[in-house]
Amino acid sequence: MIRKELVAASAEPLILSLLAKGESYGYAIIQEVKARSGDKLQWTDGMLYPVLHRMERRGLIKSRWSESETGRKRKYYSLKKDGKTAMAKHHEQWSLVHAVLSGLKKEQYV
Amino acid sequence: MFDLEKSIAEWRKQMLAAGIKTPVPLEELEIHLREAMEQSVRAGFSDPVAFDIAARQIGNPKVLKNEFKKSERTFMKKIMIILAGIFVMFIGTRLILPALAAYRDMGHVWNSPHLKYFLFGVAIVTAGVGTTIVGFKKRKA
Repeated sequence: MIRKELVAASAEPLILSLLAKGESYGYAIIQEVKARSGDKLQWTDGMLYPVLHRMERRGLIKSRWSESETGRKRKYYSLKKDGKTAMAKHHEQWSLVHAVLSGLKKEQYV
Repeated sequence: MFDLEKSIAEWRKQMLAAGIKTPVPLEELEIHLREAMEQSVRAGFSDPVAFDIAARQIGNPKVLKNEFKKSERTFMKKIMIILAGIFVMFIGTRLILPALAAYRDMGHVWNSPHLKYFLFGVAIVTAGVGTTIVGFKKRKA
């Protein structure tokens, strides 16, 4: 299981990256994160919504209410231009951290 | 006998009591609850167990409310900065306009106090514009 602090820190980049593939809604976002992490990255479902709302207020994403094919009302979120920029920044920073960690790990085996 | 609608109504009551607002975000959370519950039922759990799992996954109402409050506070701070900026711009304009009127009335010649008011007004308006821009750009939670 991933540590709470890391789960919280990775929420925004993960949401932005998921929405970059196309619009989605809360439940689907959580399911996809669970599936992609092999159930290791687990959010308390409800906690996703304050994060989504905060990101919407910051102008990173936008939302619209729509009905699904089964007739269920859902709030769909999609990426805005500022969100794409923020995502690129996140990728850059996380890649840097990853590169430093990998480099240090390799050195341990030398 | 388990009554889903009654259980959801009870769950809504707890959310409302903790201060979660309706329709947003409570509607969104309820839709999530129903979807999560259906998923557990499909996975083989009984209705009451599926409901409990889904409600637990949504989380504690008070903890949730605190998280929503944080995002509302950030939004309010941003609005307050923008409003303060607009107010400062207004004050600056109140200094500039009479100074400009005096400049026109004096036959397009500046006299010392009016020029001071004008420059002071310009400085205040600039500060107001800056504050407003900071307000619009404020992103960090």
